[in-house]
Amino acid sequence: MLFTEVRGLPVLAPTRAGPLGTVTSLAADAASGTVSHVRFRGGRLRGETVLPWDAVRSIGPGALRVESAYAVPGADPPCHDLLDRRVLTDAGTEHGTVLDVAFDTETGRLLAVLTTRGEVPVDRLLGLGDHALVVRAG
Amino acid sequence: MNELMAARSISTRPVVTLGGDAVAHVKDTVCDSDTSRITGFTLSGRGLLSGPLKEGLPWSAVWALGHDAVMIRDRRGLVSAAAMTAQQQTLRARVLGARVLTEAGDEVGTVLDVVVEGGTGGWVVGFRVAASRRFVPGRTRHRRRVYVPRGESLTVAGRSLVLPGAALRHVADDLPGFTALVGGGPGPWKGSLP
Repeated sequence: MLFTEVRGLPVLAPTRAGPLGTVTSLAADAASGTVSHVRFRGGRLRGETVLPWDAVRSIGPGALRVESAYAVPGADPPCHDLLDRRVLTDAGTEHGTVLDVAFDTETGRLLAVLTTRGEVPVDRLLGLGDHALVVRAG
Repeated sequence: MNELMAARSISTRPVVTLGGDAVAHVKDTVCDSDTSRITGFTLSGRGLLSGPLKEGLPWSAVWALGHDAVMIRDRRGLVSAAAMTAQQQTLRARVLGARVLTEAGDEVGTVLDVVVEGGTGGWVVGFRVAASRRFVPGRTRHRRRVYVPRGESLTVAGRSLVLPGAALRHVADDLPGFTALVGGGPGPWKGSLP
């Protein structure tokens, strides 16, 4: 599945009748190559809630189901959005920006990063920070 | 051969860790006493109005000097800027504006910029020089800027750089031409000029 496909899906909890909100973004850990957190928003004026990936039961079709409506408010981990992020090689040259990321909905493992300058294999990701996604120069 | 770049273009380039975080911007380049290698960078903060940082980046902590960023492994490589510039001065203070002379005493011009090699070596490969009228004849209004290779033996005498005459047999008009001229390979100056 793609990150852009998950964006906007309703978040459903087993104990609640209505949706908790809609997914705004997925956060990834570049070093381990996995999805780390899901961010969703309860409403236009509500703040964002961050759920760890372990709290997600299943993704799709048409919804993201979580184990419980629990979220730890205030405990915002340093996770950065991958989409539209600048890509830098470890040699210090830019390599476009991230268009989309494919990932496995079962395990949360990233499968491929699609950039404006072609696909980058996940084993070449080095780190994701506030400035850029750093990849090993191929 | 790694990409050649003008030292002044390195200023304002971000310093990025392999984790993807930008920690500073490059303020100026520091090189060793005979202008053969970069020894480090002074830094300024990331904001528009933030001034110079107390930390400097020694060359040993640089992962790679690239076209769009200076890559470092992590923040721990930064050292005190005062300790780094105690022995050496920045390029701006020392080399820019210096006179370039040949061994015979002929004036070549004044240094506008220093050309360094990117990647992991950090070698100084040449200078961009505002050529004097005798070195490059032509009308004064169109005074030529030429790229001059550093050569193997360069002597620094005060504010003057003395180049061996052989290094000046071939000069280039632009950076791509200069890359083709010195394209011998990385590392310290190799081989003779064509």
